[in-house]
Amino acid sequence: MMTAPAPEMTTETDPAMTPLLDLSDVTIALRQNDRKMVTGVSLSVMPREVFGIVGESGSGKTLFTRTVFGLHEDTYLAGGTVRFNGRALPLNGYRRAIKKMLGKEIGYIPQDPYSSLNPSMRVGRQLTEALYLSKGYPMRSQKAQDAAVALLAEVGIPEPELAFRQYPDQFSGGMRQRIVIAIALSQDPELMIADEPTTALDAFTQRRIMDLILERSRTRGLAVLLISHNLELLRQSVDRLGVLYGGQLLNVAATADIGAREIHPYTQALFDCVPGRDKRLADIASIPGEPVGAGFGTTGCAFAGRCAFAQDICRSAPLVTNTDRGTGFSACVLGKGARHG
Amino acid sequence: MAEQPVIELLELTKSFSSGAFVQNRSFALGPVSITVNSGEVVGILGESGSGKSTVANVIMRLTGFDEGSYHFRGADVRAFTKADSFAFKSKVQIIFQDPYGSLNPRATVGASIREALILHKRHLSRAQMDARVRELLAEVGLGSEDPGRYPHEFSGGQRQRIAIARALAVEPEVLVCDEPLSSLDVSIQAQVLELFKSLIEHRNLTMVFISHDLNVSRLLCDRVYVMHKGKVVEKGIAQEVLTNPQHDYTRQLLEAVY
Ligand SMILES: Nc1ncnc2c1ncn2[C@@H]1O[C@H](COP(=O)(O)OP(=O)(O)OP(=O)(O)O)[C@@H](O)[C@H]1O
Ligand SMILES: Nc1ncnc2c1ncn2[C@@H]1O[C@H](COP(=O)(O)OP(=O)(O)OP(=O)(O)O)[C@@H](O)[C@H]1O
Ligand code: SF4
Ligand SMILES: [Mg+2]
Ligand SMILES: [Mg+2]
Repeated sequence: MMTAPAPEMTTETDPAMTPLLDLSDVTIALRQNDRKMVTGVSLSVMPREVFGIVGESGSGKTLFTRTVFGLHEDTYLAGGTVRFNGRALPLNGYRRAIKKMLGKEIGYIPQDPYSSLNPSMRVGRQLTEALYLSKGYPMRSQKAQDAAVALLAEVGIPEPELAFRQYPDQFSGGMRQRIVIAIALSQDPELMIADEPTTALDAFTQRRIMDLILERSRTRGLAVLLISHNLELLRQSVDRLGVLYGGQLLNVAATADIGAREIHPYTQALFDCVPGRDKRLADIASIPGEPVGAGFGTTGCAFAGRCAFAQDICRSAPLVTNTDRGTGFSACVLGKGARHG
Repeated sequence: MAEQPVIELLELTKSFSSGAFVQNRSFALGPVSITVNSGEVVGILGESGSGKSTVANVIMRLTGFDEGSYHFRGADVRAFTKADSFAFKSKVQIIFQDPYGSLNPRATVGASIREALILHKRHLSRAQMDARVRELLAEVGLGSEDPGRYPHEFSGGQRQRIAIARALAVEPEVLVCDEPLSSLDVSIQAQVLELFKSLIEHRNLTMVFISHDLNVSRLLCDRVYVMHKGKVVEKGIAQEVLTNPQHDYTRQLLEAVY
């Protein structure tokens, strides 16, 4: 519901704590032409933190996460540092290093869940395989089977024992999406990256999945990097929100601040678009002007072409990159939405 | 006299046959009766697994059904000739729930859309087709350099828009949309909704709109059907059903919305 309160668990994160994932000045380029698509991204996900990433279609959310987690074939990490649990990963051989952690410390729910299921393998087998790789449960053991069936039930698949023996194409779109989520959860990672995990799900199921992920965060200390374009879902679910635009990270805001204090002009503009219950089609605001895709670069604020406050300096000043940890940050040259003091 | 419905499903049922080894889940669709009139936007709502995509597949004739009947503009689809089927394919288009799976990964986006044009709009010259491809992409907010790129080079939301552009390429009379806007942010959603609205108004497009987004359904649909476990539990004028639902299930669905 649109009027629901912001989450209570806004963690005032302790800046002294070691971030679980710590990115500093990360730049991502296309192999094909070395074009820098995502530039100067610095952000930290603290242990147990639920961190959201939002941005318009094409802003670079998937490109960014897939590259950082070693899953993108067409891109490379062109600069910056990535630390996981305090340990810096080498830029050389980065992909190999981070890939070793996937399915173990790091879980990933891709944006197109359909393609990540093997169509010719029974769902149960895909789950027990994940359990074997992450936890060493013998694949045919009762223990693995029970754990797999329990996970299917947790994501709300009816008749989970039966589902265990079925193939992916015997399930509806939303069920397949939930099976992928069950596989990711089975690995019991420290950090879960979820790229639009609930997009094609109805309201019930969406809530159920979000509750499940948030519960894992509370009870098992799972940290989550959640990409979504559903602003209301983000506002109710995440502690902090990173805002990507044109491949720049324009803002990191505590969700509690949204609507409560001045935030970055772009973040504000995004939240102003949320269609309410009684809005009509004509009332769905969109931000005036054409969106800028990923790859804007590092000169000037990517949002300047559409920002109501833009001045000349916004177009020429170098990109402001994040310096603080676990708090908030605004890249606005004019200081809008910056936390003072 | 009332115009003939475009789509008329009457007491239609479908169950999934058991596999060789496993007894199937007890899902059965129907009996459902769904009518879609010319120029109407009919929404199908309901939770995951309730049978929405199965209805879409039946309407598209991608899957058969057991009992009941399906008439398209008054003609029994079970009695379709080859020519009828071909004509049907150019009149009725679908945007699948999984936009990536429905695009050929080895064809450029331009080629995919052209393919649809070649099949159903043969009279166009190559230059006209290219112009049409660019125009279609622009309508969904994609750029002029995009026809030469491959599906994997696009973002999730961009792919969804490519699927929309391709479905619209043949200027269908009926468009079945299975979660067409799910991975789009609000501002692109607004643009695509405007596009749909204008096609409905100016080209008398008829739409079947499957969506879990109740806010969008309220904005776009004339009438809605709410499905639960393979059956229609509530139907009526979209505004009424979605602001003052009569059935508990619909009420709960509305309350769960973020
Ligand atoms: N392999 C690739 N080669 C070239 N360009 C790419 C590639 N992958 C993505 N892009 C481009 O990079 C930009 C960012 O894509 P990305 O998938 O990160 O967007 P996104 O923010 O996840 O959007 P969405 O919300 O639509 O999923 C897009 O303009 C896209 O076309
Ligand atoms: N090929 C199949 N074999 C067996 N069962 C199937 C098959 N296709 C679908 N089903 C079952 O039919 C039911 C309805 O599926 P359908 O895809 O129509 O749901 P839906 O309403 O579109 O759900 P979603 O919102 O998740 O996409 C589900 O229980 C699904 O498991
Ligand atoms: S830097 Fe300028 S253009 Fe960018 S958000 Fe701030 S005021 Fe707007
Ligand atoms: Mg994406
Ligand atoms: Mg479906």
